[in-house]
Amino acid sequence: RRGLGVAAGPPNTRQLREAEEAAPVFQYAGKAARRKDRVFVWGFSYSGALGIPSFVRPDASWKKPRRIQTTPYRLETEEKISSAACGYGFTLLASNTRDITKVWGMGLNKDSQLGFQRSRRDQTKGYEYVLEPSPIPLPLEKPQQTRVLQVSCGRAHSLVLTDSEGVFTMGNNSYGQCGRKVVEDEIYSGSHLIHQLKEFDSEVVQVVCGQDHSLFRTKKGSVYACGWGADGQTGLGHYNITSVPTKLHGDIAGVNIIQVSSYGDCCLAVSDEGDVFGWGNSEYLQLASVTETTQVNVPRHLPFKIGKVKEAACGGTGNVVLTEEGNVFVWGYGILGKGPNLIETAVPEMIPPSLFGWSDFSPDIRVAHVRCGLSQFAALTNRGELFVWGKNLRGCLGTGRMEDQYFPWRVTVPGEVLDVACGVDHMVSMVRSF
Amino acid sequence: VSVLGIGHGNKLLTDLYNCHLAKVYIVGGLFGKATDDFSDTGNLVEKTTFDHITREKLERILAVIQGTNQKALLMYSNIDMKTQEAYELAVKGLIRPMGKSPPIITAVRCLQFALPEFQLEIHCLHETQQYLRKMVHEIGLELKSSAVCTQVRRIRDGVFTVNDALPRTQWNLQSIQEAIRNCQLKVETELEKTL
Repeated sequence: RRGLGVAAGPPNTRQLREAEEAAPVFQYAGKAARRKDRVFVWGFSYSGALGIPSFVRPDASWKKPRRIQTTPYRLETEEKISSAACGYGFTLLASNTRDITKVWGMGLNKDSQLGFQRSRRDQTKGYEYVLEPSPIPLPLEKPQQTRVLQVSCGRAHSLVLTDSEGVFTMGNNSYGQCGRKVVEDEIYSGSHLIHQLKEFDSEVVQVVCGQDHSLFRTKKGSVYACGWGADGQTGLGHYNITSVPTKLHGDIAGVNIIQVSSYGDCCLAVSDEGDVFGWGNSEYLQLASVTETTQVNVPRHLPFKIGKVKEAACGGTGNVVLTEEGNVFVWGYGILGKGPNLIETAVPEMIPPSLFGWSDFSPDIRVAHVRCGLSQFAALTNRGELFVWGKNLRGCLGTGRMEDQYFPWRVTVPGEVLDVACGVDHMVSMVRSF
Repeated sequence: VSVLGIGHGNKLLTDLYNCHLAKVYIVGGLFGKATDDFSDTGNLVEKTTFDHITREKLERILAVIQGTNQKALLMYSNIDMKTQEAYELAVKGLIRPMGKSPPIITAVRCLQFALPEFQLEIHCLHETQQYLRKMVHEIGLELKSSAVCTQVRRIRDGVFTVNDALPRTQWNLQSIQEAIRNCQLKVETELEKTL
């Protein structure tokens, strides 16, 4: 109420200032306003690989089934996810917690690649499709101490790497990809069998699944392989299947390998000195720089003159490497990322950094990681931005459009992207909120 | 920087407008207040805390803004993404909308940061002053606080920068003629490049 003796008219500056100072201050940033880690998924949802059941079986009458999720969608998880892997129609999420449940799986489970998921309707049978992240019980000796470091998924099998109990494998084993002897006429659907592998020269630090084979990298820098070998992807010098993880030699004998990658039938390895080695399928010119044959069954050094290589990723028909300087090189066949005119090359070609946001305005943008799906590529920059390119199979690129992407395109994710896993027709990313 | 055309220059002005070149602004902001017209002279709506804001958080938000605007840039430029042409333009960074479009920001950078004040350099297309003020307000909201815009200063309009501009003391015939001669070359090259 205006008191007597106070001037009428528009408030002068002093009165405004006083009113401002007297105004209440609101606090929107709560005490626990820390950045949260979240999981975002996108791509084909009917296999259940996205882990959102309402896309497949709508739980409200107004909701319609969503076959394809074209942009990143948040997936609620019970725990903080530290590692994710996309297989052919299924996904594994792992947390490095000490709690009993460390790995969750969703998607296709016809070969028990997600372990045994007991069906509620019939207790003796398992689910063939798992629509939401469901715990995978691992036969751990010390379930409250062991941590899961990393997971990897192939076409129909999965590998789980732990810090002290070796590697657990599950899923299809018709080619020995699970590291155990092939049992004739084995029925994989509804199987409870999870195999444990511990016989390596040192601790396994990375597991990689190809389409039907498995690669293991140990602390000492050696690589072991098992599974299907018709394209030489096991790198053991023959084209037969291998059912026990066996050490690779060839050009990587004695070399300290720091990273291995595979997703289709071709494999790449990076040494600590920045050299790249490859073996497996070369029908798409992936290894044409050293040989004209279409299959290479022994690791061969790829004599690229592109600088020290930091990371490599293998796709179905194309490969990508990241050098120490932060440059991205692609080669192989398919949509490689340099426009529609570049369909195949045997020699790595660099993708101009300006496509990843580098400019005179922001000269310290660098690509930090590269990842490969079956026919798409992903790159993460040091600012936490995600760029994708390649075939947009069932919306797996996450760009919001259904067209293929011929050069790197930014995916809008509300947060800083920490890591991304690429599959055949879906992708999963771990994001830290702002 | 305000561009004026004399005589024949008027026609050139329309051509320059059709080039759709970016303008650069220095925008000053203040955290902690929210007003109805997003500037510091409007009526106060509310005050908020801002001690939790760091330069790092601000730069993260700026990166997101740049990202979303990049996509808008490519979409409004009406180029078929499947062509080799589109790839080449994207590499050179020359993709930009050639027709009418809502305001798009091509680049943002934080110049100064001293709580509660901060200064940004913004490169944009087809913007309005209100849009820039609103941008400051939204940055405040994203950082779980609020912000008002204290200063908007255009330092570049297409090819004309502050260095070419004449201060008030030099508004006489001589200097104007000189300035026109100096800028002629730049204008011509730019027009040739685009049209």
